[in-house]
Amino acid sequence: MKPVVQIRDLAVGYSKKEPLFQGLHENLNAGTVTGLLGPNGIGKSTLLKTLAGILTPLQGQIVAHVQQDRHRSSQLYAFVASQPPRATRFSVWDTVSTGRYRYTNWLGLKDEEGKRTVTHALKQTGTLHLAARDSAGLSDGEFHRVAIARALVQNTPLLLLDEPTAFLDIAGKRSIALLLRKLAREEEKAILFSTHDLALAKEYCDVFWVMTSDHNLHTGTPEQLQANGIIDRLYQIH
Amino acid sequence: MKRIWLLFLLLFLVAADIFLGSVRLPATDVWSALLGSDPQSFAYKIVWNFRIPKMLTALMAGMALSVCGVQMQTLFRNPLADPYVLGISSGAGLGVALFVMGASLFPVITALPWLSGLGTVAFAWMGALAVMMFIVAASKKMKSTMGLLVLGIMIGSAGSALIGLLQYFSDAPALKHYVLWTMGSFSNVSGHKLVIMASLCLAGLILSIRNIKDLNVFLMGQTYAESLGISTVRVRNRIFLATTLLAGSVTAFCGPIGFIGIAVPHICRMIFGNANHRTLIPASALLGAALMVLADIISQMPGSQSVLPVNTVAALMGIPVIIYILLKDKAFEL
Repeated sequence: MKPVVQIRDLAVGYSKKEPLFQGLHENLNAGTVTGLLGPNGIGKSTLLKTLAGILTPLQGQIVAHVQQDRHRSSQLYAFVASQPPRATRFSVWDTVSTGRYRYTNWLGLKDEEGKRTVTHALKQTGTLHLAARDSAGLSDGEFHRVAIARALVQNTPLLLLDEPTAFLDIAGKRSIALLLRKLAREEEKAILFSTHDLALAKEYCDVFWVMTSDHNLHTGTPEQLQANGIIDRLYQIH
Repeated sequence: MKRIWLLFLLLFLVAADIFLGSVRLPATDVWSALLGSDPQSFAYKIVWNFRIPKMLTALMAGMALSVCGVQMQTLFRNPLADPYVLGISSGAGLGVALFVMGASLFPVITALPWLSGLGTVAFAWMGALAVMMFIVAASKKMKSTMGLLVLGIMIGSAGSALIGLLQYFSDAPALKHYVLWTMGSFSNVSGHKLVIMASLCLAGLILSIRNIKDLNVFLMGQTYAESLGISTVRVRNRIFLATTLLAGSVTAFCGPIGFIGIAVPHICRMIFGNANHRTLIPASALLGAALMVLADIISQMPGSQSVLPVNTVAALMGIPVIIYILLKDKAFEL
């Protein structure tokens, strides 16, 4: 499997004295859906935001295996927040188009691929029929798909999502998870998303990254982690 | 299409502003003055030395303040933000207060010969610039945009307090001079002042157009902007620079013109039903210019001998519109 990103000796957190996690060595592979699990407050969002270039790593490197230019972070990673803020009176089409930021000139124009890419992303996420709607009027599930479309038009090999299924009903959760798996398979994207929904994750993820309360990151297939008891430890009540 | 209508409205008001004024001139005289047939005529002097510079000043002020208001409302994601939310007008006001009322405290002020004629403008500009430089310096250390908003409000209050102190110790004529400045006026800008103001506003408008693509991203929050690889500090500073050029210049030349900057963006969002800055910035520029020219026409009270302060006219004219929008527009939100 082709690694998109190699994490080398990475430490994440908000203070060098007390990093949340350190010494991380992992790969994120093309075409793979990775589920990030762990209790609340353990540092899932922190890790995702560090990988997305929003927070700076305390130590270590995130090595990309794609060509880079000066807008490094936006080319490699696209990030979808858990409850992405929406703009009122801003159409779905315009919302998704902002993802083309680094492909447009100083006036925000001259993006030849733009229209085609936005249409394609709306189709993939099943939101093309919403294109002219005001994004403020959508349901949470619908807008989450729009936010994923917005991440897709950035044309990045890695997609990071912070609890994409958190505020959705059961059908909404499934359809998002299904969409993520489809994107990994069809577009060869590496996908890392955090979730608390173990059953859903087991069904749709190829790999698990489990953060345990002793600040260790355990990785493996869902079966492996089940077999060595990591998953049971995760949901123990003390 | 709506933008074309706005343009027509603006052109109509511009014409009306030239034809109407506190001195009653027959339309035929104004017309021949516009064509330049007799440069010695009374009408020619009124039209070219008074009405046209005043109209151009109002037009630029309306444009500048509205475009500024859009950017502040988007940056702070707050419908209450206006061009002065960062304390620019307090800075400018403090500069003017120092110039007008501080002469007894700092005699050196009156001894600056180069300031003749431009004194108020120069001091207002320096005040606005000082505030903005402080904000930009703080912006580097502050990641939170909301923190900057609070900082701006604090600076504004500090400025007002210092102005209050100067007012307390100043004599009646100086006090009146200052109070008149705070009411706003378009009639002191002509000749080289007009050229300076126009260049500063033009630079600010170009910078604002440059900001459009970032502002659209900022509508959806700072985290999203950062995930796109945008340096939020740099964009923020670019927005602040545009604000200084636009609102700073208008305040320096015309006084703190309120209301237009906060109201016009809201009216445009309602008329166009669209918060995309590609629509909102040009629309606000046009509507802001139109409303400011209209306020100028009304403040002249055509045919009468007296002139009203433009600030009060703008507010009295616009507040009913805003109340109407608040009551009528259920989607009111930024």
